[in-house]
Amino acid sequence: MFFTPFGAALFETGGNRVSVQASFQENKRFHLDVKAALITAIVAFLLVFNVFPMAYLVFRSFFGENGFTLETFKRIYTYPLNWNALRNTLVTAGLSMVFGVMIAFPLAWLVGRTDMYGRKFFRTLFVMTYMVPPYVGAMAWLRLLNPRVGTLNVFLANLFGLSENPLNIYSIGGLVWVLTTFYYPYAFITISRAMEKMDPSLEEASKISGASPLKTVMTVTFPVMLPSIVAAGLLVFVSAASCYGIPSIIGAPGQIDTVTTRIIDYVYVGSAEGLTDATTLAVSLMLIANLVLYVSTFICGKKQYITVSGKSTRPNIMELGRWRLPVTLLVTAFALIVVVIPFATVAMASFTTNLGKPLSASNFTTRYWHILFTRKGILDTVKNSLLSASIAATAGIAISCVMAWLLTRTQAKGRRIPDFLITVGSGTPSVVIALALIMTMSGRFGINIYNTLTIMIVAYMVKYLLMGMRTVVSAMSQIHPSLEEASLISGAEWQRSFWDVTLPLIAPSVVAGWFLIFMPSFYELTMSTLLYSTDTKTIGYELFTYQTYHSQQTASAIATGILGMVVIVNWILNKLTKGEFSI
Amino acid sequence: MKKLVMVLAVALLLACACVGYAADKPKVTIYTSMYEDIIEAMTFVLQEKFPDYDIEFFYGGTGTLQAKIAAERDTKKLGCDMLMVADPSYALELKELGLLHAYLSKEAGNLSLEYDPEGYWYPVRNLNMILAYNPEKFKKEDLPQSFKDFAYNEAMKGLISMPNPLTAGTAQVAVSALKDKYGYEYFDKLAANRVMVESGSVALTKLETGECKMVMILEESVLKKREEENSALEVIYPADGTICVPSPIMTVKDEWSAHGNAKICEELTDWFLSPEGQGYIVKGWMHSVLKNPPAIPYDSINTAEIVTNSMPVSWENCLRDRSELRTNFEERVKNKI
Repeated sequence: MFFTPFGAALFETGGNRVSVQASFQENKRFHLDVKAALITAIVAFLLVFNVFPMAYLVFRSFFGENGFTLETFKRIYTYPLNWNALRNTLVTAGLSMVFGVMIAFPLAWLVGRTDMYGRKFFRTLFVMTYMVPPYVGAMAWLRLLNPRVGTLNVFLANLFGLSENPLNIYSIGGLVWVLTTFYYPYAFITISRAMEKMDPSLEEASKISGASPLKTVMTVTFPVMLPSIVAAGLLVFVSAASCYGIPSIIGAPGQIDTVTTRIIDYVYVGSAEGLTDATTLAVSLMLIANLVLYVSTFICGKKQYITVSGKSTRPNIMELGRWRLPVTLLVTAFALIVVVIPFATVAMASFTTNLGKPLSASNFTTRYWHILFTRKGILDTVKNSLLSASIAATAGIAISCVMAWLLTRTQAKGRRIPDFLITVGSGTPSVVIALALIMTMSGRFGINIYNTLTIMIVAYMVKYLLMGMRTVVSAMSQIHPSLEEASLISGAEWQRSFWDVTLPLIAPSVVAGWFLIFMPSFYELTMSTLLYSTDTKTIGYELFTYQTYHSQQTASAIATGILGMVVIVNWILNKLTKGEFSI
Repeated sequence: MKKLVMVLAVALLLACACVGYAADKPKVTIYTSMYEDIIEAMTFVLQEKFPDYDIEFFYGGTGTLQAKIAAERDTKKLGCDMLMVADPSYALELKELGLLHAYLSKEAGNLSLEYDPEGYWYPVRNLNMILAYNPEKFKKEDLPQSFKDFAYNEAMKGLISMPNPLTAGTAQVAVSALKDKYGYEYFDKLAANRVMVESGSVALTKLETGECKMVMILEESVLKKREEENSALEVIYPADGTICVPSPIMTVKDEWSAHGNAKICEELTDWFLSPEGQGYIVKGWMHSVLKNPPAIPYDSINTAEIVTNSMPVSWENCLRDRSELRTNFEERVKNKI
């Protein structure tokens, strides 16, 4: 079995299922009810918190206070600034998608299928990038590549004896660079997962027939991977298109607006029109995202599942031979530029008093770290984020497990509906989700969760559920049903066989999936910017305000702190489980 | 299974680092645009002075808070009991909307600046929009000495930065005053000089690194850096007038406020306007609003001198033209292609 771009297992492995079904027969009525109830519950959740708010958003952009009108639409979409923003969004998100996949595919292949040195280390390193807030990257690159005094810029100019600094981060190119280097991990994770479970016998066949390794990759691996690559690309596209932190930090000085920054500006204009204008502009972002989703699911994603077998064999490792060292060096250089240098820059800034001077003994301070650990305001936001992200991740992973079971182990009618809705939710730009929730969940329709942590949790779940579900579904589909059958035949109830057989086998993926929902929720910025209130400020928003308003060094300390937390948690997990679980 | 239990335990530990606190003290929430560092110091002082109350600040730029309050008005309840935002014209608006609580403070007589005769709002801190530069990188005499020159001097092209009127109240006031004085042409000149629109911390870092030659910024943020970080950054009080923003303090009516503690808010208003409260405002690098200021902020000049040489600001224009100013700024400056 293979998971499709959007986490669904679109085809069944057939044969093996019959006996499982048969053993369920005796209790058929009961089980059908459980399935139907579960599906209904998940669908109901998604209808209320996902479909309805989005529909209302579209409705509101056409129906003002005085009935149907195209006035707002006309005003917003005849405004050249908005077109510019729309163009910038499409260009930057599109390019980030292309580059992101171009980076992620070879990396996933090298890490997953070859004997490159330090594969495991690199894997953790690249996944780790997913675990830190993307706008931290913007903070770093701002310092490294600003056109006048960027550290790296000056270094390059000196190195090549240039009269002018070669690079300018305040440009479309700069924006694409930061978006790509911080969103490619989304693609890397997606493609890696698929690559791990691809049937290696196809590659072997190609090799035996005399194809070179490169030819094998291009003619076998790549085509088989295509659905996941499309899915990965989509994920990068939507994340980049709905990102607020990076364009607001990088784009502002270069006067480059994206749809997201425009929407948030509209909200901040503060007039009555502001929210309507924001909503109307958000509709276009939603349409673009849904269009991309549709195209990739139904046009590119239809074929090829048959080529992936249900058996999970350990993938064979390709020997790189004399390329082993050069390739490793290349990947190391990449990791250095994309991961190490920016994080080191941010970490160093957190100890520097005067950012205009190099870090030295007289310019060294720990006061920003002191602030991080003592300031109530910051600690409160950490608490809020820990709480909301843990709840979102735990509830999300529970839904993911249920979905995995429904999708891979049952034939329940309608099991694709929640799967589809979850996909749509994740494909919707964050800023749209937040706006839609504000408008529908502040009491107008009987539910008032605005200004509470609940609205944050709901928003995080709608947005990040897919990452968790995909992970668990993929793990589940790798477990041969015969294991469960054995347990059932030995007389175990299905609950017991789930608890004793299935769960331990998928546990590492459940943990990984939990973190894939937890981390982005923990540092979420775009939605939190619109949803936070007095008691529910989140660390992502706090970090952003410190970066822009109060103190860049304190912001750097917070960002480094988050990175440190990820490293420590990963280390503890590794130790506790003797290497079985890690991020 | 053991492993799974362990993992779940770790997850639970992460989650349990939370859980609330039980405080039965009457609560007051203050929306403010003061910097977090100042908020922290202020919270500490208020805890000592008013041990029986639980006083909490919530930070946001004036524009951000305005957007928040606009949304909260829909739910018929604001998230705060008091406001200490930057833009005085917002007080006029809130008063008109009938959201404010009137109180005649016993300290009102000592104020050097205009306050609401009915007691709906009082100035509580005087913020000054100024120009700043870094003497370690550039010479003062090579730089503009006025707001006009800041925008019109082509030598500054691509090397200047200013705050965003969409989010910062003081910036809103500044662009309103500058527009009244120089017309929308001023915006176009800023755009032609490719001004970077960004907030305090980003701008100050750019001065330090030399990425910007000069920035339009609040005096307090420069003074703070000088005192706390021994920074060399210097203030230039513009020749065409410092833009003074007497930021108000106001209390929300009980039926609208988060906790309905208007009586406590009255006490707080008195304290903030008293010489003692003003002393802490000055410690936070802002200027006092009293006729006899208890002190002047670290490294600053006399409050009266700044006020005398300030650029006139029409608060009515500020309020009336708010959307127009913001939209014009968006179009002419922020999104100049």
